[in-house]
Amino acid sequence: MTSISTFKYEWKHFIRSPFKVIALLLFIGASIYALHNGSTLYHVQTNEIDKITAEQAEKQAEIIAYFDKGETGPAEQPWVDVTTPFWAIWNTPVHHFKRPSPAMVYSIGQAEQFGFYKRVTFWSNAYDSDLVGEIANAERLQSGTLDFAFIALFLAPLLLLIWLYNIKGAEADRGILPLVLTQAYSGTRWLLARVGFYALLLVGVVLALMVYGALLTDVFADAAAAFWNIAGLLLLYITLWTVVFSLVIHFGKGSSGNTFKMVGLWLLFTFVVPGAVHQWISIQYPANLMTDWIDAQRDEREELWELPDSVFQAELEVLFPEITTSPAKQDPELSNLAMSRSGVALANELMKTSTVTIESSSEAKNSGISSTFWFNPVTFFQNRMNGYAGTHFNDYLTYRQELQAMIDTQIRVMVLDLWAAIEVDKEKYLEYNRQLTWQPSKQL
Amino acid sequence: MRRIIHNEWRYLIRNRLVQWITLGFAVVLVATIFLGNLQQSEQAERYQEARKHLRDQWDGIEAMNPHGAAHYGTYAFKPTTLLSSLDEGVGSQTGNVLRVEGHVQNEMVHSEAVQMQAASRFGKLKSSLLLKYIVPLLLIFLAFDSVSREKKSGRLKLLMIQGAKPLPIVFAKTTMVWIYGVFLLLLVMGAFTLISSLNSDVDLGQRSLLFFLSYTLYFYCLSAFTVFFSTRWKNATAALTSMLGIWILWTIFLPNIFLSSVEKWHPLPSRNEFQAAMKEDRAQGLDGHNPSDERGKALEQEVMAEYGVDSLHQLPINFDGIRMQADEEYGNQVWDKHFGELRNVLARQKRSLQWGGLLTPFIALQNASMGFTGTDNYHHQEFLIQVEDYRRMFIKTLNDKHAYGGSTTGDWGWMADNDFFRSVPEFQYQPTPLAQVLPGYLPDLGILLGWTLLTSFLLLGGAKNIRGL
Repeated sequence: MTSISTFKYEWKHFIRSPFKVIALLLFIGASIYALHNGSTLYHVQTNEIDKITAEQAEKQAEIIAYFDKGETGPAEQPWVDVTTPFWAIWNTPVHHFKRPSPAMVYSIGQAEQFGFYKRVTFWSNAYDSDLVGEIANAERLQSGTLDFAFIALFLAPLLLLIWLYNIKGAEADRGILPLVLTQAYSGTRWLLARVGFYALLLVGVVLALMVYGALLTDVFADAAAAFWNIAGLLLLYITLWTVVFSLVIHFGKGSSGNTFKMVGLWLLFTFVVPGAVHQWISIQYPANLMTDWIDAQRDEREELWELPDSVFQAELEVLFPEITTSPAKQDPELSNLAMSRSGVALANELMKTSTVTIESSSEAKNSGISSTFWFNPVTFFQNRMNGYAGTHFNDYLTYRQELQAMIDTQIRVMVLDLWAAIEVDKEKYLEYNRQLTWQPSKQL
Repeated sequence: MRRIIHNEWRYLIRNRLVQWITLGFAVVLVATIFLGNLQQSEQAERYQEARKHLRDQWDGIEAMNPHGAAHYGTYAFKPTTLLSSLDEGVGSQTGNVLRVEGHVQNEMVHSEAVQMQAASRFGKLKSSLLLKYIVPLLLIFLAFDSVSREKKSGRLKLLMIQGAKPLPIVFAKTTMVWIYGVFLLLLVMGAFTLISSLNSDVDLGQRSLLFFLSYTLYFYCLSAFTVFFSTRWKNATAALTSMLGIWILWTIFLPNIFLSSVEKWHPLPSRNEFQAAMKEDRAQGLDGHNPSDERGKALEQEVMAEYGVDSLHQLPINFDGIRMQADEEYGNQVWDKHFGELRNVLARQKRSLQWGGLLTPFIALQNASMGFTGTDNYHHQEFLIQVEDYRRMFIKTLNDKHAYGGSTTGDWGWMADNDFFRSVPEFQYQPTPLAQVLPGYLPDLGILLGWTLLTSFLLLGGAKNIRGL
């Protein structure tokens, strides 16, 4: 008996086992459903971004019309003067988006827990309350979305288990194992060929499903690297489970015992170890209640306005040394207005300092989780998959950092132009729109 | 039947492997209760510190314009409850911090889930995780060959020759496995009672009992179903694999598919749409024909007529406070309309999900477990409603002070003193009483009872299977 003939027999055994075939069909059905869930979210987010971009363009056209008509702003708001840097920038409708990767079709990850668009003004902060996830059913979020990552990481090992549980065990239960082994070229090779058949079948099915998913969001055009990375990751993952289950079968004595051990291992690595790590992290680092951020946003920001002018001015000049020689500095009236409007820069620095506690607490939690990866493989693979799909915590952290960089730029441009007493015209306004919009090439 | 149960129990506890597994489970289950309690205490401590810190700041306001104070606002933190050490429910998803301020009903932010990378798919290692997913598997492993083993060894025939009837045999087998599950459940409840004894009250006791009841019903369904398969299939492995397939369908596949589907059947608005609709109603009036400035003018006329004056400056009170309160009350109608619709959609989603319990009792168990521990979305919504009620009282107190505290219209420099700010009550969360929410969970309990009856009927069929031996 050769490996090829073992494969053929296994194929016959497989198609004659309704339980195994039904398991495969259910797996494929659930995977297609899951891929469509990922694709739906990708399209919903993309459409929302397109909608906001269109609204942004309308708002921009409205402001440009003031310049064209020689007006300074809406008639019912006479205090608005778009020819000043403050109001021109305030009316520059800039949003920052976390554009979904087409690879989101494979792993929704933490995408539903974070916001993916935000209007950026110089009063914004990367932890503002409008930067929260879309409105969703918390019970569904708690259970987790049925995405392809869930299918591949949690159900694929179960499918493998269902296919493999009676290999060798069934022969042992019936007392025909010695007979089978005398006919086989080698017990180990016979076992490996049978297990290999199912492992290859699973890899083939997973790859085919991934290709199907790729067609839903055009992954090959925009995220081909993510496709191959995820495919490689899943190949490694399936191989790991195959090796673990093969060892169980090799050392096992019957199908019931083998099933018990395989289910036990699956439960250990998918429920118990990740759950225990999660519990440990929560005890070690209780949820941050943002009191530092609240203090900065309310009291410390309020106290800024009570600072003596000289201190206020000095702090401002530390941040922007350029203003010491600016035209507004020479004109007391301009200087007072510029100073009061530049306070936002000091407030921004306060807010940035207050977010350090939040970010360091997150960093500690993430390091804690990462340090368990060597015995917590499912969480490792989940996070890697989220990373490739652009739905990992770090992707949203980067988004927040980009957002903060945009806020900093907006404030810097506003303060410097204000002190330089620049008069804004249509060209300058358009320049603001270009300058203040996020460009991927910008350095953080 | 009692004798068979007794014998089965003796057989079970003599098994060395079962002894070790039981010991392992007992240790882990009790440990999860203590760890859950430790986490809950740590979080409660943080909560108390944050709450005191914010209240001290409020009490420390020496003098401030009441409207300025409405913008200064305060924060409500969602407290953890003792029962959350059993089942955390949606706690890690819903956020912890809610800003309370004038003009706007905010949403909770900064959930535990957004503070770190993905840690676990099924939540923390709480007792509920083990009781929902792992103990049922153990029961399946204990029951899958309970009848087929007897058939194979010929003991079943022997029992029947001795006068035992098939029905008591299958019920005895089921009861024995079920009692084992209940024993593990009792360990959890015992440990929980121990740690909660100092803070227990009638509500906590009733909730714990219903939590216990839900799991006992679920364990019975699983035990009976597995014993039924054991009577149905000649081969024990077929019974085991069938039951494993059902377990996967019940606990992993169907609940996830149902939860994803109910959001499609009853869609929630996007945040952008939701905010835009509220903004529009706020500006245009609920019916779209009552812009805010027209409402303001009508109110001016009404108040001036009431006081018999011709201009706002002649009023002995501060009209700004009245206008702001009227605006708040108008805004409240807008929030009630939109947030109310959101809650209706969530309620419809929940009802649809409850129907899913007809396909898998796990959904009913999940609803009951989170519901009776007060950690489901419904309890979360109740918390939000309480905070909103507080916000309305808080802002009205400030606006009334602005209007009738001694200032006149346009006097934005007027300030209330420290005594006034100290007199504004603090937000106190009142846990939702069980009686108020129980009707919402009766369908889940009913479905679990229905499954108990159904699986009992299956056992009757199973008894017929072995009668033919």
